[in-house]
Amino acid sequence: MPDQMFDMTMLDDSYEKCLKCNACVASCPVTGATLDFGGPKHMGPELKRLVDNQQSIDDERIEFCTLCGNCDLSCPENVHISTLTAFAKALHTEKNGSNFRDFVLSNAELVGKMASAFAPVTNAAMKMKPMRKVMEKVMKIPEGRKFPKYRFKNFNLTFKNKVTGSKRKVAYFVGCYAMYNAPNVAESFVKVMNYNGIEVVKPRQKCCGVPMLANGRMKQARKNAKFNIESLLEYVRKGYDVVTTCTSCGLALKKEYLSIDGSPEAKELAAHVYDADEYLRMLYDHGEFNTHLAPIKHIVGYHAPCHMRAQGMGSPALDILELIPGFDIYDLGAGCCGQCGTFGFKKEKYAVSMKLGRTMAESVKNLDADYTVTECGMCKNQLDQLTDKEVRHPMQILAESYEHARHLQTV
Amino acid sequence: MEKALETEVAVIGGGITGAGILRDLALRGIRAILVEQGDLGHGTSTRNHGLLHSGCRYAVRDPEAAIESYHENLILKKTIPGSIEKTGGLFVKVPGDDDAYVDKWLASCHKLGIPVEEVPLSQVFREEPYLNKKAEAAYRVPDGAIDDFTLLIDVINDAVAHGAKTLTYHEVTEVLTEQDHVTGIHVRDRHSGEETDIHAQIVINAAGPWGMNIARMAGVPLKILNNKGMLVVFSHRFNKHVINRLRMPGDGDIFVPAHDVTIFGTTGKNTDDPNDFSLDRKEMEDMLAVGEALIPSIHRMRLIRAYSGSRPLYQKNGGHGSNGRDVTRGMALIDHGERDGLNGLITITGGKLTTFRLMAEKTVDLVCQKLDVHSPCRTREEVLPDRRVSDSFSKANLAPAARHKLMSWAGVRAPKFDAALQNEEGSQVVCECEQITWAEIETAIPNKGGFDLGDIRRRTRLGMGPCQGTFCNFRAAALAVEQGRADIKEANCALLGGITERQKGMGVVAIGETAKQLQMMQTLYQVSLGFKKEGNQHV
Repeated sequence: MPDQMFDMTMLDDSYEKCLKCNACVASCPVTGATLDFGGPKHMGPELKRLVDNQQSIDDERIEFCTLCGNCDLSCPENVHISTLTAFAKALHTEKNGSNFRDFVLSNAELVGKMASAFAPVTNAAMKMKPMRKVMEKVMKIPEGRKFPKYRFKNFNLTFKNKVTGSKRKVAYFVGCYAMYNAPNVAESFVKVMNYNGIEVVKPRQKCCGVPMLANGRMKQARKNAKFNIESLLEYVRKGYDVVTTCTSCGLALKKEYLSIDGSPEAKELAAHVYDADEYLRMLYDHGEFNTHLAPIKHIVGYHAPCHMRAQGMGSPALDILELIPGFDIYDLGAGCCGQCGTFGFKKEKYAVSMKLGRTMAESVKNLDADYTVTECGMCKNQLDQLTDKEVRHPMQILAESYEHARHLQTV
Repeated sequence: MEKALETEVAVIGGGITGAGILRDLALRGIRAILVEQGDLGHGTSTRNHGLLHSGCRYAVRDPEAAIESYHENLILKKTIPGSIEKTGGLFVKVPGDDDAYVDKWLASCHKLGIPVEEVPLSQVFREEPYLNKKAEAAYRVPDGAIDDFTLLIDVINDAVAHGAKTLTYHEVTEVLTEQDHVTGIHVRDRHSGEETDIHAQIVINAAGPWGMNIARMAGVPLKILNNKGMLVVFSHRFNKHVINRLRMPGDGDIFVPAHDVTIFGTTGKNTDDPNDFSLDRKEMEDMLAVGEALIPSIHRMRLIRAYSGSRPLYQKNGGHGSNGRDVTRGMALIDHGERDGLNGLITITGGKLTTFRLMAEKTVDLVCQKLDVHSPCRTREEVLPDRRVSDSFSKANLAPAARHKLMSWAGVRAPKFDAALQNEEGSQVVCECEQITWAEIETAIPNKGGFDLGDIRRRTRLGMGPCQGTFCNFRAAALAVEQGRADIKEANCALLGGITERQKGMGVVAIGETAKQLQMMQTLYQVSLGFKKEGNQHV
């Protein structure tokens, strides 16, 4: 088959609707922080119009696009801007190849498997100065950048599918982060579902592909999409709902697969995908949510990940956590954290990453809450880097509240 | 006080015909002045399809025009490389088109020696994904796309480089005669009001649709049929080749790729007024309905504007009732000395963009005969400087898209742009749709007076993209004031004029996105920038 990937003529013609209004430019976090990026309007719809059916133009500034999706949200014409920039990234990588660092960073799954297998060693190594100096020099990974820890007892090792025959059934798309770095998040999610009487199974799955898209490795991302669509659809057709605890994975399954895969199967799957909090909110709306939650008297700051907002579902984490008696949660309202997945691990993007994170860091400081809540593991990484507050996932808090409630009952 | 200029030949009309003549005269060493009432090419020469005919379109109905077109096609591809894109063309037969015509057409093309090659449909659909999948046959022909804007500017510049002179925004108010011969023309500067006599042995009327006005001034009869055609511009370039419908020439059967857009047309309606550039919605809708046969998704694609221009068709007998399509596209060279007893006046009209060089050659041959100059035509071989450059602009801090555009555009101006691009203002992209930098715009502003966004647009493509100048017209005007290239009053006036003109072309296609674009433009200018509604503020 000819390289269909860059034949976007039929794939996405939403660029034709662009009115050049600049709403996307105004809402782009990166454009606000640096002039080194050409802005979403130019790198997306504008460039696409100039190359469609014509000679392609490679613009290396596309590397600065984080695929955060704020442009898509802001567009009054529903131009699929981040889809267009994802393809511009793919074109750039196709023409220039990806360097070793970007190859490694975009392989979150492989890295996760290996790093967790030697977890104590990996974690210690990442804290060793000489090691980091070498990494900065050889791989252009900034010495000062914190890395998420890897867990030896990853979720793959600990979780066993348990079929209970409940009315609602969940096929859990774990994602690399909860699998290898934060198995506690995954375990908490399973607990929360069990407290709601819902069985959880873990289908065969690969990395959702978002880190690959961000590094222009479109072919690999499409391969993974195909695998996941097939694997997850099997469950969907058996009556399972697909639920994610990572907002980037959620966005991929709901939206990216529609554009990079585009098959009817991708569409069928997308209609059955929920973010974990969104799923619980849905249960609540149907009167099926277990509200037996013990009070937690904490003051908490909530950071909304870009990929959560890009799903266009409101703020389900806030909606659900507010059901916990005494829980006092405030939206930090600080926009993009600046980690932006693999972006913040790159030396040449580090300054921009730090600059972007400043608003969030200040917001956390001003609120001075007990801890911070966010769904996204990468946002957590930046919060860990820039603030001294503990960072937790909504599922961890819910699980704690449910457990506490059961404890109170049994005592 | 009245000035007077002295020359051998005065050329009236700054369209491509006049420009071609001016260059031909200059290359043969004949002194000449060209006079144009507005900007160069403001009439027909920038209001056409930009199609370099292979001649195939006229193969059946008008073999003479066909063979002329084909020969010129070959010459222009060689001599004007910078303004011609060798896209190639396709003639496509769709269901319902007459089979007998196809046979006649093939036979005629063969007889005329125009190379036509049948292309397998599977290949055509791969190359032209938007083409009607029900097409029954397709033939490859040597059509091309002409950038009529750059062509005109480059031809004029070459003439000027060879000693010719041009006066734009100069209107002819009188043709000076003495007994049985012309002695020159009287012109008025439309900016300053200054009047000038231009004494010349020969006056050439190359005024196109305005040609009858000139003839009237000279008191000679002339019948030109002004046949107004409407064209529309699509927001992106969706075809690689010129796509023609394989049938007897009619309305709405040609799609021409032009830079980053596709131009589709055309219609033909006779009009009495050469200044009639009106646009009719019904006419456009009828044309689009016909175009659907070639490009079925035509109604789903975004149109950014429409425009119209008149073909000056010559009618020997001055007969009425013609619809224009059956009048020859051939040229008419009239020696008014021979025909009407007024020596020294020549009218050249009819013809096509594709044959402009030949029209000039024939006209200047006649001039030479009259002036007793023995100098052969040089435009068959003499090559105009190319627009394409390589290895330039590598030092400038430019978006790759803007660099890409400059590389196919800058031509002999490349060193000048390169220098201007070194400073921050120069490398600013002012028009984003067409990727035009301030360096290019600045070069297009005349040194004294006459800051006009239309004139800049014709030289740079400013505001020719989907947003139709919503943002760049304002930016260009503001930068011109900031850089001391225009005063505020001038800039305001130019801005209002520029926007009004853009809105006219958008209004007729304003459905869907373009309706929204138009609303946004009106809101920005009337609410955010406080411009009054059209007309109220004009000075």
